[in-house]
Amino acid sequence: MKKILVANRGEIALRIMRTIRKMGIKSVAVYSEADRHSPHVLFADEAVCIGPPPSNQSYLNGEKIIEVSKALGVDGIHPGYGFLSENAAFAQKVTDAGIEFIGPTPEAMRVMGSKLAAKESVKKYNIPMVPGIDRAIEDVNEAIDVANRIGYPVLIKASAGGGGKGMRIVEKADDMQEQMERAISEAKSSFGDGSVFIEKYVTSPRHIEVQVVADKYGNVIHGLERECSIQRRHQKVIEETPSAIVTPEMRERIGEAAVKVAKSCNYVSTGTVEFLVDDKLNFYFLEMNTRLQVEHPVSEMIIGLDLVEQQIRIARGEQLAVTQEDIISNGHAIELRVYAEDPLNNFLPSIGTLTKYERPVGEGIRVDDGYEEGMTIPIYYDPMIAKLVVHGKTRTEAIQKMLQAIREYKIEGVATTLPFGTFVFEHDAFFSGKFDTHFVKNYYTPEKIREKQKANAEIASLVALKYWQERKKMLGPVDHKSTSWKRRLAH
Amino acid sequence: MAETIKTYKVKANDFVFSFDQAAIDAADFIKKSGEEFNLICENRSVNARLLESDSTGKKLKLEIEGESFELEIKDELDQMLDSMGFSTASTKHIKEIKAPMPGLVLDIAVKEGQEVKEGDRILILEAMKMENSILIQSNAVIKRIAVTPGQAVDKNQVLVELE
Repeated sequence: MKKILVANRGEIALRIMRTIRKMGIKSVAVYSEADRHSPHVLFADEAVCIGPPPSNQSYLNGEKIIEVSKALGVDGIHPGYGFLSENAAFAQKVTDAGIEFIGPTPEAMRVMGSKLAAKESVKKYNIPMVPGIDRAIEDVNEAIDVANRIGYPVLIKASAGGGGKGMRIVEKADDMQEQMERAISEAKSSFGDGSVFIEKYVTSPRHIEVQVVADKYGNVIHGLERECSIQRRHQKVIEETPSAIVTPEMRERIGEAAVKVAKSCNYVSTGTVEFLVDDKLNFYFLEMNTRLQVEHPVSEMIIGLDLVEQQIRIARGEQLAVTQEDIISNGHAIELRVYAEDPLNNFLPSIGTLTKYERPVGEGIRVDDGYEEGMTIPIYYDPMIAKLVVHGKTRTEAIQKMLQAIREYKIEGVATTLPFGTFVFEHDAFFSGKFDTHFVKNYYTPEKIREKQKANAEIASLVALKYWQERKKMLGPVDHKSTSWKRRLAH
Repeated sequence: MAETIKTYKVKANDFVFSFDQAAIDAADFIKKSGEEFNLICENRSVNARLLESDSTGKKLKLEIEGESFELEIKDELDQMLDSMGFSTASTKHIKEIKAPMPGLVLDIAVKEGQEVKEGDRILILEAMKMENSILIQSNAVIKRIAVTPGQAVDKNQVLVELE
């Protein structure tokens, strides 16, 4: 491959292009009219504007992207995450155009894109799954039968769902009828597919996922786990590896399960198998994400592999150069997603201009971002500014390094999730590792951040008064009003 | 005339504190350099850095533990001037609803001339793939709708005018 087009924007486009350049390959950026000043456009060897700001007219315009690729003689397209990354039809069109799609096959995307098809696919591999029913149901009585068998509370889920949409918790049989109807209607309107299924609701769940890497020759390895339980709005904010609760024995079993899931759909490239872990450390297959994950840097830091480089090598037909035995966990890595969101106001988007933007620097600190000081955060896309990733020899060291890095990260002009990060990393539940996906609900209130801000504001006020009074003392004679009055009289 | 100033008010970002001279004297303050200070207050040792200061030293910007604070000191004279009538009345009648953030107007839930009650949804503003309901804070009658669905609006742009 001599030239790769990155069909994405922001931090991930820049991160992918850095690896492309490192490998001696030319990079092509595509951008919308809102992104002319973006670092990914400035960094690329070639850049093409593909349309107006809304993503359905630019970054989601697969036809246009393929057209640009053909015109510029591109031999590979990297989709990043989001946008077209899990769009099987796009991957198919890229392949049909004679261009290498740097990612899994359209078929693997199709299977894993449907939760029910995914369950069907992994069935014969003995992968633990949350107790429930693995086919679409509509009949309320059948739903009640299933719920009686597996025990309440149960979860109604949309087969095509994601991001918490179309999910409903049912506590008792009386509520089943209404919740089923609403879940089906929500699934239809959100995903165009009304099929729902039922599983046992795991009450204190942790979200643990396993990185997998597979070449085109059936070699599949796993790159250990990532703990992603700290979420807001069912979306991850903090990820770490290794998980504080996974034992070496469990790591081996969950890793093997992930490899089997990847094999079940003849997976190629990097992917992630997500599991739900209950309070007794039982793990259950949730779904497979057929793309490079946002949080891949934490894995890169402890296994020492550049996952984008692996994707490109796999796409150009190379065999995996590492075996499972080569994957050894080195230290501890944590990521904080820095979103332009206000943690004091329900994590609502905080849009504006970055009047100040200074990154923390230091050994073991990595910042993947797509902004510079003075840039405005566009309203059209995901509000993530950066991923702040740290590596330490131990979990404690990594947490301390993260707290220090947050202090040194200077962002002004918009509210960010940085203070939320400080809250989590200083919290006993996080420090002890005893937390689940309900962390925000159980422990977080904006008042706690406000109290701390108030204490610092009071100290700042005292410093200001001290400084002012000392300065007045020093400047005493000059400040003397009668003196200046006399001078004026003398004229 | 201001020989015995007793209390000071300090605005720090959106907080306001009052201190008397005794409280100021109780804190131990040293200068490490022209811009770097250390303060010990109730046994807590805190480092601060001066980012900006105006010529009077009463308006300044300080950084503490990575957080920056805009500060404004008001002595008794300043406080007196404030109380003499430059403060704004807080019971203003709301005349319009402005966009709290830039975004795209998705759906407008009201019509011109419609009576709305506190907490009613006026419209949905989409920003960064998230839909935000804009609600009204008091009972009112819609006079004019200043935007159309699909329109991009800037922060503080008027969305609807009220009677």
